[in-house]
Amino acid sequence: MIITINETPKIVIKNVYYTYANGTTALKNINLSVNEGELIGIMGMNGAGKTTLIRTLNGLIRPQKGNVYINGENIKSKNVGKLSKTVGIIFQNPNHQLFSNSVEDEIKFSLKNLNLSKSEVQGKTEMVLNTFNLGKYKERSPLTLSGGETKKLALASIVCRDPDILVFDEPTLGQDAKEIEFFTDLIKNEIKKRKTIVIVTHNIEFAIENVPRIILMANGEIIADGPTEELLTKEFLINKCSLVLPQITKFNTALNSIGIKCPKDIRFKNDMIIFLENYLQNKKVST
Amino acid sequence: MSLELLQAFKFRKKNTIIHNLDPRTKLLFSIFYSIAALMFTNIIPLLLIFLSLIPIIFIGKMIRDWFNSIKGLSFLIILIIIINTYFLSLSYAIAMILRIFIMISAFSIFFLTVHPNELALSLISMRVPYPYAFSFSLAFRFVPTIALEAQYILDAQQSRGYEMQQKGLINQIKNLFPLLVPLIVCSIKRAFNVAEALESRAFGSIKERTYYYALKFSLKDWIFTMYLFMFLIVVIFIKIQFNLMPNWFYWGLPV
Repeated sequence: MIITINETPKIVIKNVYYTYANGTTALKNINLSVNEGELIGIMGMNGAGKTTLIRTLNGLIRPQKGNVYINGENIKSKNVGKLSKTVGIIFQNPNHQLFSNSVEDEIKFSLKNLNLSKSEVQGKTEMVLNTFNLGKYKERSPLTLSGGETKKLALASIVCRDPDILVFDEPTLGQDAKEIEFFTDLIKNEIKKRKTIVIVTHNIEFAIENVPRIILMANGEIIADGPTEELLTKEFLINKCSLVLPQITKFNTALNSIGIKCPKDIRFKNDMIIFLENYLQNKKVST
Repeated sequence: MSLELLQAFKFRKKNTIIHNLDPRTKLLFSIFYSIAALMFTNIIPLLLIFLSLIPIIFIGKMIRDWFNSIKGLSFLIILIIIINTYFLSLSYAIAMILRIFIMISAFSIFFLTVHPNELALSLISMRVPYPYAFSFSLAFRFVPTIALEAQYILDAQQSRGYEMQQKGLINQIKNLFPLLVPLIVCSIKRAFNVAEALESRAFGSIKERTYYYALKFSLKDWIFTMYLFMFLIVVIFIKIQFNLMPNWFYWGLPV
């Protein structure tokens, strides 16, 4: 579990409403506050308004009603290019942003938009390529990379800009276990640097293990906001968001149904392992 | 180039006389108006052709979508004005803009009012082989998808500091690369995926096939087709007898 430090609000969303041109109301009276150095997850069924909500954070979508504040400033009159220095959004499909001739140029494009000097751009590029293990591909075209590597490159091209707020849309989608592990380490490092992180995900196992606070959305509204281990084990909330209970919760229920009295508050893998070890040891002693 | 231009080619279901016309009539309409636009290089005849499109746009209740298509052309209009005024004259530039307005409007009306399935059926009824008709309608169906994808690409690039509206023509052209390259790559990838999906569902395994819907040419189609032929005959007549037209017909700006 990642430990977060709660302080001043980095993101404040007040009474936000948004309706698309076709009449679909995507956001209804959204109120949310995220502190500096906090890691939150946004979950909900498809069409719940999760992606629309994150698009309001850097001005890609301007709410028809309500306001979004970043670092205490209303972003109503700020353009996306300027806001991207503070808010970096990594979208679901990495292919939507890759266009350069090489992996190295792809990273450089993001840095050049920050008006950095040539030496700074070169230095940062080298550093990011090493951090993301993309150094060996630096001469290669981004279009020849595998799905996981492409996603990594898309991540690198935003993280290299060092924004205060990082927003990930479905970062674990289509990723193998190693890639998810890499992403988990990445967010842990960014939190250590006191970055604010927002993750939109359907991956309940990832959320319960790594995200301390969850926002649940349905039909454009926030229906619950609180500690992950509390919200994601409530069956009625899980059903309302078209999610499934975490495996540990299901396992816990199964153990109780066969007479093994497992405490209901065990929600993490490691706690369950400790419980089972103790249980087996006690059983051995008694026999 | 604004992405709204692509949205203006998306079919929208409405119940109007124009929407209820046979797709073949509407295809004829787009072709005839485009031919008419290509016949003249003077402002007045092109303006008259353009004005004759306005009632059709109103009857079809597509003013907003049509206006978006015109608005999306703003970059092209500026380019036409600069190049034509510099090398030829302002009158010629205005005439060329009107020509593009007519052609874009004619095809915008066609795409806004013809359902992709109807398009395939109309091509088949014109004896176009089914695989080609299907491919064409599929390409047509993907226009809004590509528009949406273009918007996603723009959002993704803006999120890493890309600014589309930079000063200078060369900068603006250079700025299209971060949008166009991913758009082309995604479109090619999708084309391969669709082709594989179609083949895995036995597309093209039977040469002769039947269709659930059949197109029918109704009375209003005949009336509209008659109007179109009369319109084209008048346009050709004016073109042939252009020297005999009143003086105001040749009107142009002094520069």
